[in-house]
Amino acid sequence: MLTDLETSMTQEKQDSTPTLKVDMTLVSEKIQPSSGNKIDIRDFSFYYGKFKALGDINLHIAANQITAIIGPSGCGKSTLLRSINRMNDLVPNVHTEGEIILSGENIIGPSVDVVDVRRRVGMVFQRPNPFPKSIYDNVAYGPRLYGITRHFGLDEMVYNALKQAALWDEVKDKLHQSAMALSGGQQQRLCIARALAVEPEVILMDEPASALDPVATLKIEELMQTLKETYTIIIVTHNMQQAARVSESTAFMMIDSPETRTGVLVEFGLTSQIFTNPKNKQTEDYVTGRFG
Amino acid sequence: MARETFERQLQLILDQVLILGSMVEQAVLDALDALKRRDLMAAHRIYAADLQINEKRYSIESSVITLIATQQPMARDVRFLAAILEIITELERIGDYAKGICKITQLISEEEIEPVLLYNLQQMANFGLDMLRRALDAFVVGDATTARQIPLEDEKVDQLYNEIYHKLMEKMTADITTIDRANHVMWAAHNLERMSDRVTNICERIIYVATGEMRELDIEEDGKAGFN
Repeated sequence: MLTDLETSMTQEKQDSTPTLKVDMTLVSEKIQPSSGNKIDIRDFSFYYGKFKALGDINLHIAANQITAIIGPSGCGKSTLLRSINRMNDLVPNVHTEGEIILSGENIIGPSVDVVDVRRRVGMVFQRPNPFPKSIYDNVAYGPRLYGITRHFGLDEMVYNALKQAALWDEVKDKLHQSAMALSGGQQQRLCIARALAVEPEVILMDEPASALDPVATLKIEELMQTLKETYTIIIVTHNMQQAARVSESTAFMMIDSPETRTGVLVEFGLTSQIFTNPKNKQTEDYVTGRFG
Repeated sequence: MARETFERQLQLILDQVLILGSMVEQAVLDALDALKRRDLMAAHRIYAADLQINEKRYSIESSVITLIATQQPMARDVRFLAAILEIITELERIGDYAKGICKITQLISEEEIEPVLLYNLQQMANFGLDMLRRALDAFVVGDATTARQIPLEDEKVDQLYNEIYHKLMEKMTADITTIDRANHVMWAAHNLERMSDRVTNICERIIYVATGEMRELDIEEDGKAGFN
């Protein structure tokens, strides 16, 4: 059991929106395409049937940083996020244009191994969604899908994932108890551990703290600062203070017009610039709460 | 839905800044008037009234901090509130210059000051206070263009200061018994010269609010105000 494992480890390891012109010159010079980017989204458009939900998104996500995506409801933030690990493939009748380059490889296209993309790009959702299984089994779920057993280091993977998710100390004595007995904040960190267990490169977070109390939120935010040393993190949040607190870069999205309602990238820059001196009037109105 | 409560609170703070500006302006005018008339009672009264200026400054500072803590302002709003924290400090310091002139009035007491010097001091005050008034107007409307122009006028104040300085130096050289009195008048002129420097600092903040640029304004050799 993991008590043996523990001792064996010697090292701890809004709706009146006017038609919007997108000025791509607003993309900060410091966040242009470069070989240091983990993800390059190029001319990416997304369609639900005939409805164009995302239009010509160009976004360059730096490695080992936290990038926040902000914007009003319905502007396509989550659609963009879910495109990065092909989660939208589960929705019928969707298609895309453009490219999403992950570590130099375009992950859009029928020949791509979607299961592998989802391993490389983990996701944490708004509400904690642990499986109705034990804490151990939740974290071990992903590695087991890849055929990893306890003989081949499963215990160590579970330990590492829980440790990285800052949950180990709280659960090490009850690994085989139900995950559903954990608090909301613990459940969310367990979901992060579950994502980390398959050793991803990128973690997508869709409002990861919106269902949590301030203390649990703080723990998640502190955890993100640790995780970015190893992973690239993209967070969608409606909480602008949270975006300002945790991220290095911020992307502001909005719909282009009330008629077409296509989500577009309005401004992308360093978080310090977006929240103190945005270049675009719509960004200014949104971050100052004068939107709509 | 715009942030009506927040907007109202911002406006209340701005009103208080303008009141502080008026208090400071009046203090400078009264201080100079007391110096010209050698009115020691008035000088004492203005000196004591500086406490009210300080209290007003702290009251505004407290309101700004409360608003930042409770409303989490962003972008232009946070620049505006940060600028106010700087501007009220500059205004309070101008109030201190008025207090300093009152102290000089008490030190000079009944001694004679040449009318031409008093006239030059009054001119310095008039120029400086006119700069201040227009700077605060520019702040209200976020006018960066005017804020860039106002510091150019500092040169007129500096010229007057230099005139006073040379006159007093001549006087002191010719008659060493005038050194103490001349020194006091020099300090009054120095205070007024510093007042217009403070207005330049206020202009820097107005430009920051309007544009996000935070740099020191400098008067370049070609007479244009620029950042260095």
